[in-house]
Amino acid sequence: MGLALKEEFFDEPSCEHNGAAKEKKACKTAVPGSSTGGCALDGAYIVLSPIKDALNIVHAPINCLGNSYNQRTSKAEKGKNYYMYGFTTAINENDLIFGSEEKLRQGIIYTNDRYKPKGIFVYNTCVPALTGEDIEGVSKELSVKLKIPVVPVLSQGFSGNKNLGNKIAGDALFTHLIGKKEPKIDLMGEFNINLIGEYNIKGELFLVKKALKSIGINVLSTITGDSTVEEIMYSHKAELNVVICSKALVYLARKMKEKFGIPYIEESFFGMTSTNKAITDIVNAIGNMELIKKTKDYIKIMTKKTEEKTYEYKKFLTGKKVLLYTGGVKSWSMISALNDLGLKVIATGIKKSTDEDKLRIIKEFDKNGNIIMLDNGNPVNLIKIARENNADIILAGGRNQYTAIKSLIPFLDVNQERLQPYVSYEGIECMAKIIYSEIKSPLFKLLKESIG
Amino acid sequence: MVNSMVNRLKNIEINPLKTSSSLGAAVFFLGLKNAVVLMHGAVGCASFDKVTLTKHFRENIPIVTTALNETGAILGGKDFLISGINNVYEKMKPDFIGVTSSGLTETQGEDISGIIKEFKNFKNAQNIPFAKVIYASTPDYKDGFEEGYLAAMLSLLTEAVGKNKEGGSYKKSNRTKAKNKKSVNVFCPPSFTPQDFLELRETLDDFNLKPIMIPDLGLSLDGHLDERGYLQTTPGGLDAKDLTDIFDGEFNLIIGLSLKDAVKNIEGLTGLKTYYFSNLCGLKNSDDFFNLLSKATGKEIPEKYKRRRSRLMDAYLDAHFYFSGKEIALALGIDLLDSFSAIYSEIGANLKLGITTKAIDGIDIEYGFLNLSEGDLDLLDNCGNLDMIVSNSNAKFYAENLGIPLLKAGFPIIDEIGHNYKHYILYDGAINLVIESANLLFTE
Repeated sequence: MGLALKEEFFDEPSCEHNGAAKEKKACKTAVPGSSTGGCALDGAYIVLSPIKDALNIVHAPINCLGNSYNQRTSKAEKGKNYYMYGFTTAINENDLIFGSEEKLRQGIIYTNDRYKPKGIFVYNTCVPALTGEDIEGVSKELSVKLKIPVVPVLSQGFSGNKNLGNKIAGDALFTHLIGKKEPKIDLMGEFNINLIGEYNIKGELFLVKKALKSIGINVLSTITGDSTVEEIMYSHKAELNVVICSKALVYLARKMKEKFGIPYIEESFFGMTSTNKAITDIVNAIGNMELIKKTKDYIKIMTKKTEEKTYEYKKFLTGKKVLLYTGGVKSWSMISALNDLGLKVIATGIKKSTDEDKLRIIKEFDKNGNIIMLDNGNPVNLIKIARENNADIILAGGRNQYTAIKSLIPFLDVNQERLQPYVSYEGIECMAKIIYSEIKSPLFKLLKESIG
Repeated sequence: MVNSMVNRLKNIEINPLKTSSSLGAAVFFLGLKNAVVLMHGAVGCASFDKVTLTKHFRENIPIVTTALNETGAILGGKDFLISGINNVYEKMKPDFIGVTSSGLTETQGEDISGIIKEFKNFKNAQNIPFAKVIYASTPDYKDGFEEGYLAAMLSLLTEAVGKNKEGGSYKKSNRTKAKNKKSVNVFCPPSFTPQDFLELRETLDDFNLKPIMIPDLGLSLDGHLDERGYLQTTPGGLDAKDLTDIFDGEFNLIIGLSLKDAVKNIEGLTGLKTYYFSNLCGLKNSDDFFNLLSKATGKEIPEKYKRRRSRLMDAYLDAHFYFSGKEIALALGIDLLDSFSAIYSEIGANLKLGITTKAIDGIDIEYGFLNLSEGDLDLLDNCGNLDMIVSNSNAKFYAENLGIPLLKAGFPIIDEIGHNYKHYILYDGAINLVIESANLLFTE
């Protein structure tokens, strides 16, 4: 009844966090009195809300949705903006006493009648999970009645962090949508892949798709940037899953491999080396000789083009020092992107990284030189490391923006609040330009001279 | 047709205007100096609020969580709360730890207030310095932003009284103060921008009064580069040292419709004469306020404010043409709805629709609203012809769909910067609002 979480979520054979310390369930704990990331609801909402013809109803008191909706930057190519609307049952005191299943039921029916979505995600949260409301029952009943998928998402926040929420969302897609429809024949290309964990932040998906299209690869489904419910339902027809910068959704890829036999690879599109590698890995996995040859030529052309475009920036950026503090896969995938631009990474955050991630940092970046591994994201510590090592810029998530700029250290947001797309070939140029402008800005010098 | 405060019967909020009481309490605590907010709940409770507040104020927001997990949710969260408080103090050495509860912790039914009382007694017995722990009960399923803010305010006052009241009479503080300045306690509503706080401070200063603002978001979230660089706690705000001065005050000033119900309570807790204003917006309300200050201090209204007054009258004249025949919808929290309505009704704007967070009788009649409801932003849909919406960033869906301008005010404003520099109170504030509105309504 909502409370029961699959043990499987905490036992990911393909995740390195499992390995040595199985008993500590590494991804689950947070220290009271610290500032942590989001909860399971947050993580699930991030994954599912970009689906542009679905609605998201959060069954909760006002705070879970009311305090923070309409903040994601997932772009949709066309269609209504209802997917970004905030829907909540706003559970009140009366509901708590008398139960709110009926309220939820009526709420779902009302939104369905009014907006005619292709699917509805219903999120469970702490309070109804604690009082034991049967969200799964209501969803099942209404799926039949309304003739659209009404998907229960068991994302009560006390179950765990954002990462767990990503998995819960992946599980909801796997259980309720994937494999339930067949694609129309004209939607299939010669080579069909899915992108998993790509949310089209600042239109990044469009850039990745553009590169893949140039070599003749069809993105059948994206989970979930700029996607539709139907597209996710027929995603099982792809021949390869490409998981982008997400450990949490490897869970989904593994489930799809088990059930539909779709192999998966994990890639990143940050920087030229990564982009070239990702595209090469994809075509190698597909294994068509002609495609592989075509891709080699494409990469050669794009590499040359991008190098020309970033030449001036690179000249300035070479040898400049970066402190990188971001999560998981990005702890190493970004290093490659920064090295491509001549930047030297002096430290990288590894708080959310797996042993595999850490090993890659040590192994793959010997040309970068020694990298400090930051296990402690405490802002005071970040500033100390940045100052001691004369960092020219801090690249991190939005929560560290004020840590950096209040200390008069240049800053760039590389997480979901980023102001520009940074992936694929066009993204490299964007990133070069913006790091260049930030480090070069006269402002920091002026303020240092003027303060105190 | 006047349709007063219809509480539409429905089962779902679509793009809510309302936010939670824990968020309101958090905002109050952020107006205390060297403070940290500790939210007792799952990690998301703190994280969602922190993200929104950071985007709204464009400042570091010191909110942390007790990180209640499954075990705590079922078996009780006491250990999480206590270790949360201790860890915050160890790491950040704040003067204040503002604790809020959540839907989760209140549903669970634990006696949070009792746990904190016990903890404080334990700390007092140890007789070593510790932060002031102020607790506001904020179940998310009850009330909203304004009530949470007020709960935190009353909790702080009660704490100050407890420290200061011995044998039924108030102890006067022994601190040496600038003799020529009388202090006055100022209670502002949560709708005040940091700049509103600063404007009010300056005005009181001009009347030779030393304001003790409870809370003071002007000194904490105005957006200033502190020479100490990055700080883990609030960089400014109401100073713990000033708490005892509350009882030396000349009088209390309470501003804001949402604080109205607490007037008697605050008067009782402080034992001081209390003046209440539902808002400080528009010509008449500003006049009343300046007249009171003049009367209470025996000081003539400074020339600079007389000049501002005449500029407001002129701005009204310049701007009023652009309101002619235009219909405006306001979707704002109760304080800002009341404040802006006061200004708009003076200039003769047509207030077609009002949406707010709490039913208050009589506002629609006072300001001539055609329709005023408690509800969500979705009431903006299908309300007929409109020329402008005044609301927070979330109303942009409706403004875009209708193809009309959105004047961003209230909370949250997350898609533009500079809100902390704007102010809408007193003569200058009214000028700001009518000019900003007129420019949005201005069509060639």
